[in-house]
Amino acid sequence: MARVKVRQVSEFLWEIPKEGEMLVPGWIYADRESMEFLLEESKSKQWDALLQVRNVACLPGIQRASLAMADIHPGYGFPIGGVGAFDTEKGVVTIAGVGFDINCGVRTMAIDLSTEGVESKKEELANALFANVPAGLGSTGMLKLSLREIDSVLERGALFSLERGYGTPEDLEYVEENGRVDGADPSAVSVHAKQRQLKQVGTLGSGNHYLEVQYVDRVYDEEAARTFGLSKGRAVVSIHTGSRALGHQIGTDYLKVLKRASEKYHIPIREAELVAAPIESPEGRQYISAVQAGINCAFANRQAIGGLVRKAFKKVFSLRDGDIRTMYEVGHNNLKFEKHEVDGVEKKLLVHRKGATRAFAAGRREVPEKYRKVGQPVIVGGTMGTASYILIGTERGMSETFGSAVHGAGRRKSRKQALREYRGENIIDELGGRGILVKVHSRKGAAEEAPGAYKNVDDVVSIMEGAGVNRRVVRLKPLICIKG
Amino acid sequence: MMERGRGHETIEHTADMGIAGWGCGEFEAFEEVALALFELVVEREGLKSTREVDIEAEGEDYEELLVDFLNNLLMKADIEEIAFLDVEVKVIVIDTPTNKFCLKAVARGLSRSRVRDRLLREVKAATYLGVSVGRDESGRTRATVVVDL
Repeated sequence: MARVKVRQVSEFLWEIPKEGEMLVPGWIYADRESMEFLLEESKSKQWDALLQVRNVACLPGIQRASLAMADIHPGYGFPIGGVGAFDTEKGVVTIAGVGFDINCGVRTMAIDLSTEGVESKKEELANALFANVPAGLGSTGMLKLSLREIDSVLERGALFSLERGYGTPEDLEYVEENGRVDGADPSAVSVHAKQRQLKQVGTLGSGNHYLEVQYVDRVYDEEAARTFGLSKGRAVVSIHTGSRALGHQIGTDYLKVLKRASEKYHIPIREAELVAAPIESPEGRQYISAVQAGINCAFANRQAIGGLVRKAFKKVFSLRDGDIRTMYEVGHNNLKFEKHEVDGVEKKLLVHRKGATRAFAAGRREVPEKYRKVGQPVIVGGTMGTASYILIGTERGMSETFGSAVHGAGRRKSRKQALREYRGENIIDELGGRGILVKVHSRKGAAEEAPGAYKNVDDVVSIMEGAGVNRRVVRLKPLICIKG
Repeated sequence: MMERGRGHETIEHTADMGIAGWGCGEFEAFEEVALALFELVVEREGLKSTREVDIEAEGEDYEELLVDFLNNLLMKADIEEIAFLDVEVKVIVIDTPTNKFCLKAVARGLSRSRVRDRLLREVKAATYLGVSVGRDESGRTRATVVVDL
């Protein structure tokens, strides 16, 4: 029997009713088929995303509900696709709600090029991108930094890369938080973490990180698409990466700190990584300022790669900087202080989004001025070779999910299973047959990231739209895919 | 009757990968888990080590010690830009009054720049999810951990 009881609230929303130690209910966005899959896992497997939703609902200070977006799958303490918002006075911060890839996210840049334009020089462009953007294990960036300069990366975020000649000032207007969060404290980050980053600013990484040249294949919302500078057939490029090894090391270092803090402040540890500290405790404050430093590191990284991508495009096509415009950049492993209305009262909350994207509705001041009338763009990365989506947040999303959206398709098959079922070469050939040029640094990596290992991104997005939480603006299809 | 032999394997996990090592005692089991970790990162068959790095780890129990050991291997590999091929655990000290477990080891490998075409993937971290160190049915020590990829 499944370890967690669920009841269906509406076609696409399910609830784990509040019981026992739960302080709020659990809300999961899913259709019947994906809920059956989750319940099956809950019965038979050691990993259980539904139990994770329930465990998060027991953490002190949690508000409204422990949430899971439609790309839910088991994570570490938090499910992937999980959102948890906490009262800043009585609540906790948990490392499980951020994970090891702090501020991993996606930047999408709109290019003044049509699909045909890309097709005419596809191979050349793929080679230029492959050569210009360091990717894969052991790759090093163009920037070789000192420890002191890393401190500046952690304080200044995307500004650091801009000052080093990567990208344009206009980019920052269309990056979440304008590419820099306050409160980052480089001294909260270990020397080891900084040492790991010395040569990694401006590197893509490996695993599910990618660089994709795509085109707008379908427009769902003309007005929003026009506002974002997107139209059918228009080429775009998306960069998916995060805070690299520095973020991983912050996670590793603070796992120990927060484990001790959980014991010190008597917060029961319901799953190994679901360790937490009160937001207002010294440990909590220190962890938050380390995460903010990691967030800035990811901003700097995507800004640097954005600059490299622009250079590659300019090398192949006669384009100016302004012809390659940052449409938006948004993270999906984050901690944010945000104001939300809870039970009719506006409150300052600490929102954890683990594999979930911020998706603010029209009118919020965090949305770039030019987009404020329609809402914040949400970038949903598909799997290698499948569609990606640009969504927007809705008012209903604000009142249900604290303005959150899915972040991707969500893994369905284990990497091991994917390796058994798919071969890197076959996938590259198969996608090639469908007109997608794939360049990878590791072929095994390609097999693990095979499209068949993930849920269908179209279904995941339909669930969120059906629930009224997010709305589709455009669908993107890949032309070139570069992976670590 | 205890079975001889040591070894390692990977185990299914939806988003990531479980790794396990077994052998006679914690020394061998830890070395084997580390080998499973190295094999996620590099195709190590036929490669010869040319460099050596000291590794230390600590924890409040064997499980914490194992996670710290693997994470320190990942950290050193990045800082030294090295692909590890094997490791030898030299000492494990358990200080009973303070309940502190310490480990010292030597890891061997070669510069990543020399084996770029053999590198497979990055491992973000070893996690506490499902970590265990104990005896299996045949009396061997078995250590298991899930790594975030």
